[in-house]
Amino acid sequence: MKINWFKYSAPMNFYPLAGKLIPLFWILAIALIALGLYWGFFKTADVLSDQKQYYRIIYVHVASAWMAMWLYAVMVAWAMVGLVFNTRLSFMMASATAITGTVMTVIALATGAIWGKTSWGTWWDWDPKLTSFLILLFVYIGYIALQSAIDDVRRSDKASALLALVGLALVPIIYYAVNCPDPNECASLHQESSLERVESNILIAMLITTLGFWMYSFATILMRVRTIILERERNTSWVSKLKEFNN
Amino acid sequence: MNEFFHMGGFGAYIWSAMGIAALLMVLEPVTLVFRRRSVIAQIKRNKRLEERRLNNEKN
Repeated sequence: MKINWFKYSAPMNFYPLAGKLIPLFWILAIALIALGLYWGFFKTADVLSDQKQYYRIIYVHVASAWMAMWLYAVMVAWAMVGLVFNTRLSFMMASATAITGTVMTVIALATGAIWGKTSWGTWWDWDPKLTSFLILLFVYIGYIALQSAIDDVRRSDKASALLALVGLALVPIIYYAVNCPDPNECASLHQESSLERVESNILIAMLITTLGFWMYSFATILMRVRTIILERERNTSWVSKLKEFNN
Repeated sequence: MNEFFHMGGFGAYIWSAMGIAALLMVLEPVTLVFRRRSVIAQIKRNKRLEERRLNNEKN
């Protein structure tokens, strides 16, 4: 059987498919996040060698920080596909990804501040990791602002795609800010992210929660892209034939 | 149970971090549902106006 993947690059075919996938992603998101947090709170030690109970913020903090970075890469990928192939749906996906990415960045910064207060004794520090993450938030906001500032949809799609591409430079900076080869050079307060050092039950809980956050992101991005499709394709005949408008 | 929420004195920090994440991750889909409804209502309204206009032109 040959599946024509390009079929779903047409909003008309993607809209019903996305509608069917959303409940599935919601079920997976809720189940995985619940399982991850259950594991993280009940199957782990209360006090670690260098951290007390507050280390449990890790489950939402690391999951949201990973999502914030990955979603940025996903957003740029969609924007690039849009620029190269000039497909309408790719730009809509890029724009739908931006807000979920922003939400994840805000969660990562807020939970990080709370964790910092307990662990380092300060809510905020201009450490490379924290600073570059704050700039990531501004780039997300800049992308959204630029997109809504230009009325012509095609032009705003292209302009914001270029901004997203420029902002991609941030992702390796954030990565190396944590995985700094020589700590004396980077003076990083933020812990190195060395997964092999994390105790296995904590690691399992963290990875399950992260998977749940992925599912959450898929669900919200698909919900948003469906609305964007309706807004942008409102004058087409397939939209007016949808059951949403005929009851 | 109380001891669980107390979290060795760090309960306020842990639960507020979890709370912020939960709040944002509930608000986001809720606003999406409202936005979708308002877009659907708007398109329906436009459709009705368009039909009325066509009817008027016929008469």
